Amino acid sequence: MSVARAGLRAAAVSLLAALLAAGAPAQTAPPEVVQTMCQACHGLDGNAPVSAFPQLAGQRPEYLQKQLEDFLAKRRVNDAMAPALEALNKGDIPAVAAYYAAQKPKPAGSSNERLLAEGKALYDDGNTATGVPACVGCHLAGGVGNERYPRLAGQFPEYAVAQMKAFKSGARSNDKGKVMRAVAARLSEQEMAAVAEYLAAQP
Amino acid sequence: MMRALSAARPRRRAATVGLALGLALVLPGCSAPTPAAAPEEPEYTWNQMQGEKLIALRAHGDVTRGAIAFEVCQGCHRAGALGRLDGSYPRLAGQHDTVLIKQLTDVRAGRRVNPRMLPFADRHVLSPQDIADVALYLSKLPSPPDNGRGPGVGLDAAARTYQDKCTRCHGDKGEGDASLFYPRVSHQHYRYLLREMVEIRDGVRRNANPRMVEVVKPLTDAELDALADYMSRL
Repeated sequence: MSVARAGLRAAAVSLLAALLAAGAPAQTAPPEVVQTMCQACHGLDGNAPVSAFPQLAGQRPEYLQKQLEDFLAKRRVNDAMAPALEALNKGDIPAVAAYYAAQKPKPAGSSNERLLAEGKALYDDGNTATGVPACVGCHLAGGVGNERYPRLAGQFPEYAVAQMKAFKSGARSNDKGKVMRAVAARLSEQEMAAVAEYLAAQP
Repeated sequence: MMRALSAARPRRRAATVGLALGLALVLPGCSAPTPAAAPEEPEYTWNQMQGEKLIALRAHGDVTRGAIAFEVCQGCHRAGALGRLDGSYPRLAGQHDTVLIKQLTDVRAGRRVNPRMLPFADRHVLSPQDIADVALYLSKLPSPPDNGRGPGVGLDAAARTYQDKCTRCHGDKGEGDASLFYPRVSHQHYRYLLREMVEIRDGVRRNANPRMVEVVKPLTDAELDALADYMSRL
């Protein structure tokens, strides 16, 4: 074999290796910022170790992307996110969103069946007396969400309630069309607790 | 839809449409170029052709986009837009697109007061194009005869009242008239029909056709109850 041919062959092999690496699924290795920053609160697999921080595993990538962009642009503000945002580049966002979206969610779970039943009724039927729309309309059956509305299934109740309260008070205002603020304004604390309990149990 | 519109009053409507749409285009973001009279004012004209209603009526609706725009509505109006049997939320499936556009834009402009719905249908949620899309989508959804009905009292007298006073606009079978913005009432929930007729009679709902107000004005609660029941069975 000539030197030229051997060189060509080596080049072809390394090109193939490079192509294979590029074509490998993004979720196999966590992006660097996930390893250095995100995982401390949200877990390496997106299942947060503490209920103060949201579960991200299995979340819709469109939603994760929008929230990270909103945090960077200060359309959504959270003190606990501040150090991570310093380390986050806008260019990292799609990979981080795709990575956490591809992780397997572990539902927070529920231990209060009565509250869960109350929450399921509100989730599926809303409250016609006070004009609370059924959550199922946008977030779909079981809280799985879609390209336009976030997944809620399996979320920690503490986090879900904190967000509903933040929408109600206006502290969180990055909802599309002010719709979630309008819904939260009509929710009682009891209803928030109940629907969060139901969501926590969804796979 | 424009065919239906022009069939109604060809020349005059075309001129009005052109003028009002021209003004709306000159003033982007200004949905009501000339402030319309409020429903209680003497110069109020029913179904005035102006502003975003015209834009939505002239837009080409898209059923696929309409299904997406409807997501925010289905928490109340339910999947398939069938509404609720108790009439708390009306059925929208199978309603004429012109009627839906008129009612949605009336709610947004305050001509039909509905604070419960407004946050989910206002300008920051739906564009005039979204309204055209969602109206077309809803008009094509099936509306089976499984709607809420009344107790079945006084239906014979109600049938005579309906034949005498209602068929001219709402049709023998409650089918309404898309070209004239008259709603379909068949397969609508009884309690919703009753509530709206009472509110139109009592001046609570003020965006109704003046002829409709005249028709319901002399009717008692019991007569309206039986009439709503009859209509729910059409």
